[in-house]
Amino acid sequence: MSAEAAIERRRTRRLTHFLAQNVGLVLALAMLVMAVVLYGAAYWIEQTALPGMFELTSTVNNTMALVLCGMGQAFVVVTRGLDLSVGGVMDLANALAAVHIKDSVGSMVGWSLAILAIGALLGLVNGLLVAVGRLQPILVTLATLSIYQGLAIRVLPQPGGSIPPVYSSVLVNPNWPTALVYVLVVALIWYAFRRSSLGVSIFALGNDEQAARANGIDTVRAQIAAFTLSGLMSAAAGLFLAATATAGDATTGNGFTLSSIVAVVLGGMNLFGGRGSGVGVIAGAFVTTMIVNILFFSNIDPLYQSFYEGLFLVIAVVLGALISRLMRRRSR
Amino acid sequence: MTGKTPFAQFPDRIGLTRSVRRIVYVYLAAIVVFAVGQVVHPGFARLDSIAAILTVASFVGLVAAGQTFVVLIGGIDLSVPWVLNAAAILLVTSSLGQDGRAVYALLLTLGMGAAAGLVNGVIIAYLGVPAVVVTLAMNGIMEGLTLGLSGGMTCDSCASYAPPFVQDAVHGNLFGIPTALILWVVVIAGVSFVLSFTTFGRKTYAIGNNAKASYLAGVNVRLVTMLLYALSGFFAALAGILLVGFGGQASLGMGDPYLFQSIAAVVIGGVYVLGGRGHYLGTAAGAVTLVALVSVLMAMNMPDYGRNIIYGIVILILLLLYGREEKQE
Repeated sequence: MSAEAAIERRRTRRLTHFLAQNVGLVLALAMLVMAVVLYGAAYWIEQTALPGMFELTSTVNNTMALVLCGMGQAFVVVTRGLDLSVGGVMDLANALAAVHIKDSVGSMVGWSLAILAIGALLGLVNGLLVAVGRLQPILVTLATLSIYQGLAIRVLPQPGGSIPPVYSSVLVNPNWPTALVYVLVVALIWYAFRRSSLGVSIFALGNDEQAARANGIDTVRAQIAAFTLSGLMSAAAGLFLAATATAGDATTGNGFTLSSIVAVVLGGMNLFGGRGSGVGVIAGAFVTTMIVNILFFSNIDPLYQSFYEGLFLVIAVVLGALISRLMRRRSR
Repeated sequence: MTGKTPFAQFPDRIGLTRSVRRIVYVYLAAIVVFAVGQVVHPGFARLDSIAAILTVASFVGLVAAGQTFVVLIGGIDLSVPWVLNAAAILLVTSSLGQDGRAVYALLLTLGMGAAAGLVNGVIIAYLGVPAVVVTLAMNGIMEGLTLGLSGGMTCDSCASYAPPFVQDAVHGNLFGIPTALILWVVVIAGVSFVLSFTTFGRKTYAIGNNAKASYLAGVNVRLVTMLLYALSGFFAALAGILLVGFGGQASLGMGDPYLFQSIAAVVIGGVYVLGGRGHYLGTAAGAVTLVALVSVLMAMNMPDYGRNIIYGIVILILLLLYGREEKQE
């Protein structure tokens, strides 16, 4: 056998290995490309022009909240859990922002940090109940979802309040896609997390809790940290939501519990924990928004939106299950 | 047993097992809530007020019957709200308020609920996708379909009333007992019979305790799982029919409270959330306790948000009391 053939073989093996390891991420990126192409086509048919800067800006601005809470959800999904309180934390952050943020730098920075801290605290409560209380994540977060939604309505009983225009334009500039910077920041946060010792513990916990504990990983601490990060990211998502709407509403966050799970699944994360990429989740969030945009340009009644979201979620999980079954069979 | 106080030894002495004891506690809790209600709001425990509370509890109890089935195998059904809502709307739009079409509409509606549940079950059983995700997606699908097909409740037939036959059946009395309650008692008896005295019930508990062992013991795990989810959809649709019969007309969002309440009833009723332990008799008492608690709060003029917060806190406390996973060491 010649040396070149051996190198060639090793190279293809490395490529298939990479694909096998990152099948979710690759699929998510492929789906994103497909969604963008479809969107461009639908836009072309409707407007006989290609989508431009305005469309890019509004898409990025509208997706930011989902990118953030999807990433929050991802931290918990890695541990093999689910955080249903995402929508409640966003509601509360949104309501607090609309009531308290005033038109001064001190107020804007101070309250933003305070709201992020509150979000982290709400996540910490979830984490403590799950990890120290040894309770089921789904039930805990369902209960706290109810509590957080109640608190949000207490803070802002009627939709209203206001967000200073300056605040909105810093977070979601309506003229330029500056929010892409935040997308980049979120991606960097993921890479930093993935390489930190905390990231290693959380992934180890999701892969095999007992093995992780046997290797000296503090699984309780890792689980608490994952939920805290989810709360923090959801609060940030709530701030972006308030900035986009320029006013507050204590119920707009509700739908994001479903959407964040859709983004995570479309992003190729394994719901049984321990596998997945945050970059995939960002792609998944954009695909979710693009689906809505494509539906809009295809003149489909927006009332059907949650039908399509649910349908795509089912298709994505079913495809994911089939592909992983196929891979397992081939590797045998 | 030496460390127990004489009081705690009592249930052991009269021969109550742990699971029976748990159900007894839930009934005691319901009685306590009614007693507290009577103190806070005199007249709360009058017979007609109790009957009204039990009637409202029967709607929660029916949804919770399906939820109990799936929780017993360690699953969950989040598609309840919009299966229920779709059922209510389908009943009025297919019957157009005519008695002549009532039977057809009832069969269609119950079939729709069972079919939605069956789809959940097929995906969960055959593809191993987590129940949370599948049923959450199904909830979205049903919501979108309901909103889209009814044009956001603007369609001509959407304003129809439930057939008078169904309305009378829900509002009627039999020997002074509301018919909705009688139906619930029948369901309680039926579900309890299925759980305790049939092979299907045995298989359900077996899967909840250990799906792999049940499979090796010859249980058709997939078939049972599918049937249980279909039953959950069926009961959600049944509750939708009763609700629309009770209120006369269907509306959007009428199913939303029932997800949380059905899960709360299951948890309060002492069903172990990882499956394998618990009984519908407990869930039924849980539904009564929950609805009575809400009624007490309403009698105290507690605002909506306060109710949300208290729901959540009650569930968390109950979970901490007996929903905990065994410590793995």
